[in-house]
Amino acid sequence: MEELIKKIKSTLNLSREAEEYLFSISTQKTYAKGSVLIREGQRVNKIYFVTGGCLRSYCTDRNGKEHTLQFGIENWWISDYIAIHNKESATLTVECLKESSVVEFDAKKLNGIFTLFPEYEPFQRNLLERHVVSLHQRILNQLQLTASERYDLFLKQYPDIEQFTRNYHIASYLGITQESLSRIRVERARK
Amino acid sequence: MKALQIVKYGEIRDSLAFNELSKPTVQAKDVLIKVKAAAINPIDKSIILGNLQGLIPIPFPSTLAYDLSGVVVEKGDDVSHFEIGDLVYSRVPQEQMGTIAEYVAVNHMAVSKKPGNISFEEAASIPLAGLTALQSLEQVGIKENDKVLIHAGSGGVGSFAIQYAKAKGAYVYTTTSTSNVKWVKALGADRVIDYKTEDYKTIVRDADIVFDTLGKNYTLEAFEVIKSGGKVVSVAGPIDENSARMFGMMDYKLPETLAKRISDQGASYAFVFMHPNGSHLAEIKSLIEDDKIKPIIDKTYSFSESIEAFEHLATGRAKGKIVIKIS
Repeated sequence: MEELIKKIKSTLNLSREAEEYLFSISTQKTYAKGSVLIREGQRVNKIYFVTGGCLRSYCTDRNGKEHTLQFGIENWWISDYIAIHNKESATLTVECLKESSVVEFDAKKLNGIFTLFPEYEPFQRNLLERHVVSLHQRILNQLQLTASERYDLFLKQYPDIEQFTRNYHIASYLGITQESLSRIRVERARK
Repeated sequence: MKALQIVKYGEIRDSLAFNELSKPTVQAKDVLIKVKAAAINPIDKSIILGNLQGLIPIPFPSTLAYDLSGVVVEKGDDVSHFEIGDLVYSRVPQEQMGTIAEYVAVNHMAVSKKPGNISFEEAASIPLAGLTALQSLEQVGIKENDKVLIHAGSGGVGSFAIQYAKAKGAYVYTTTSTSNVKWVKALGADRVIDYKTEDYKTIVRDADIVFDTLGKNYTLEAFEVIKSGGKVVSVAGPIDENSARMFGMMDYKLPETLAKRISDQGASYAFVFMHPNGSHLAEIKSLIEDDKIKPIIDKTYSFSESIEAFEHLATGRAKGKIVIKIS
């Protein structure tokens, strides 16, 4: 939590009251590997700021296969924003790929911070913009880069992630088969 | 709910019927699974024909089949490892037989979450054959560099066993017919023997393990290719003395010719009864998610075509598993 407060303070002058409010609506938690924080089909009212470990959000298609939307590593936010925004049950599952620590926020109360502390808004807007940028980048990469180039970018973005992910987590994030991922890895090893 | 049931022993078309049943009730240790896919196995055919009446007595009508994948929709009071909404697969226990149905109540000990990287249909194809192969090869302690002969590499059990043995680092011989050589090789077998043109007994020498999936003459012949101190494990040959005792047959003796072969060769013989086991399925889940094992499906049928699926099973010509999509 201190990390998050420090991060917020680096971009805006957070009042003592706002800081206390943030503390009051959040809980620091540690989850074991395999824990499920958000479960498809259930209600979602939490947003998580990752302070350590690695999480994954994924959806399951009608055939039962998983597709990875996002990995959550240190300093990233993770939740099912579709469910929160549309007030629907979760379409995503969020699970811990290794022991992970998170700051858990009540989604409604976190949004309520704007009315109580308007000075917090620029930080939140900046956060949202960065989120949109990274999503746009991910879509464009998907449209115009080769699988091998996408894998290179992925490794730059998540340098140590291969130690605790399974191949299909990464393959389904890149939108390729596990066989293609193996082929790309073999080609890279040859270079 | 709709279910495919056996109404009497006999020919497939005369013995099976779709019936309307009430949803099963959940006992304390059960999860109720909304079935997405079921798979059928040679044992289902033997049940229909009445060949297993002595061993597996069933009342009429009974819903058929053992393999399923689906979604947990309800759970008993003693179930803590599963949540509503979990995607699971199972080889259901004998007393809960009947997976060609919209809902099945299954003891949670026989259930595991399904692998995330494969479809419901693929997941349903795994449990019975996968557990048979895993439990047999574990029984004989398969390890790296073992020379293993696996009979019938294109069958449900054989195709899984080849991949499992390769994942354990073994050297794998397997037998199959000409038309299957290519795809069985692709499963990773080191030496695929075409039994139509080659004699496996002249090719396999000093095997550490023979996995006998065929029985009949193959059980005895295993001792011609096994090394001294090697292990023959069978799911089709005669029951062994230890297992017989466990079933209360205290005076049971192995057939004399087999007992002699075993002692002449200084080898061991074990018969394996596959048993439902959720933790073994969880182990298989990891192997599938790590791409070490791939499901092999011959054909998928719709629920309403289930009887055709059994007729296809009865030809014995399926390359991989036969799956029925339930919902």
